[in-house]
Amino acid sequence: MEKALIVKELVKSYGSLTAVNHLSFEVDNGEIFGLLGHNGAGKTTSIECILGVKRADSGSALIFGKDPKKDRRRVFEKVGVQFQQTNYQDKIRVDEICQVTASLYREPADWEILLDTFGLTEMKRKMVAELSGGERQRLSVLLALIPKPELVFLDELTTGLDAKAHRDVWRYLEGLKKQGLTIILTSHYMDEVNILCDRICILKKGETIFQGTVAEAVEGSPFDHLEEAYLWYSGEEAYADENL
Amino acid sequence: MKTFKTLFATETKLMIRDMNNLIFGVGFSVVFAIIMGMVMGGKPAFEGADYSFMEQSFGAVIAIGIGATGLMGLPLALADYRHRKILKRFLVTPVSPGMLLLVQFIVNLLVSVLCLVLVYLVYVLFFDYGMRGSFLRFLPSYLLVILSIYSIGMMLASISPNIKTANLLCCAFYFPMFFFSGTTLPYEIMPAALQRASDILPLTHGIKLMKAASLGLPMEHMTFPVLLMIALAVLCILLSLRFFRWE
Repeated sequence: MEKALIVKELVKSYGSLTAVNHLSFEVDNGEIFGLLGHNGAGKTTSIECILGVKRADSGSALIFGKDPKKDRRRVFEKVGVQFQQTNYQDKIRVDEICQVTASLYREPADWEILLDTFGLTEMKRKMVAELSGGERQRLSVLLALIPKPELVFLDELTTGLDAKAHRDVWRYLEGLKKQGLTIILTSHYMDEVNILCDRICILKKGETIFQGTVAEAVEGSPFDHLEEAYLWYSGEEAYADENL
Repeated sequence: MKTFKTLFATETKLMIRDMNNLIFGVGFSVVFAIIMGMVMGGKPAFEGADYSFMEQSFGAVIAIGIGATGLMGLPLALADYRHRKILKRFLVTPVSPGMLLLVQFIVNLLVSVLCLVLVYLVYVLFFDYGMRGSFLRFLPSYLLVILSIYSIGMMLASISPNIKTANLLCCAFYFPMFFFSGTTLPYEIMPAALQRASDILPLTHGIKLMKAASLGLPMEHMTFPVLLMIALAVLCILLSLRFFRWE
């Protein structure tokens, strides 16, 4: 079977700033892969280049052996995407955006069940614009799962969620993983990464600083916990920025 | 088909909730028809004309709605979806650009048809209007004008890099056509110089075509407008697909 994702030597710069520098990694089927790094490290740019939303300067990305730019319609039949920031049509209701999303795929998931799983059933008839930050976040993850994907990209999946919602989403994703779903996610929460990710890649200003399992990341650092190890890899001066 | 139906139903609901397109695409023409009927009702189109002002104006008033939906509603909706990254979300799904364009096309067509029906009712009920020409001849002319004006709108949406340019381009196309193509000021009473300038505008030829069809005038002079409309439609649809941008 084809690998879920193969990224080779991806480069993307904006003017003189190199946002992603020779990024290479592979993701196996059924794996959860975490792309980590501070804001501006190049996570979102990497994902957008992989998906073909942004044009990479060089390098390649193959999703299940196919180029998403050339084979867009076939690739995205079975790939779900949650962007970091999701905008919706004005005055659209929750059930309407779910219906529209489901209508785009040949064999979509039952979105009413997904609404229930994500605790949004009561919001069904509400305008998306009226949802709270956490509800919107859950909705954006839910929409990425409507294609019944084999691979899903989740860019900051739990930002803005409360503790309980965090755990609910994690549990749900772990369940999907058991059914064979491959997940590529970005996150700022190391407890989330610790629980979910099989392997991680830490980016710093577009450069790959570390790639391997969570255990290897901790081992390779002078620390005992992923959080500290991560901060050590990604550099303390960036840590200070993050808190501004 | 499922994709089309759902997108169409949802976009229609959104269009109704938003109201803008209904106000400019329908309301404006209807109000204009009423005012014009009150001022000009019963008068001949121009001195010596054997049809009335209202009879000759029908196609022109309908064209106001076509222009508003095709050159404002349609392209601005698409430009707005791109600006707000809604198209970017569609990009990572299997939907084709052609489908998205088609849905917007049909939603706006619906507004235009509503405009046609209401204006017709106003003309018939209040101003004693009856179409001299055959409706079966008017309808194809009407659809052809829609096709070509809408395709200009789709092309504008595709080639504008951002919403500001889209706004600018739409205004640059819509307002000259609104004032100078005979929608408001009848072509026949324009000075010759203005008529020549007006002939540059595609909608002028669309109105000529609809006017001739609605008045039952001979269609042999209409070969040029018909060919122009067809050529514009083909060219602009190809351009709009070629330059379609998700982001």
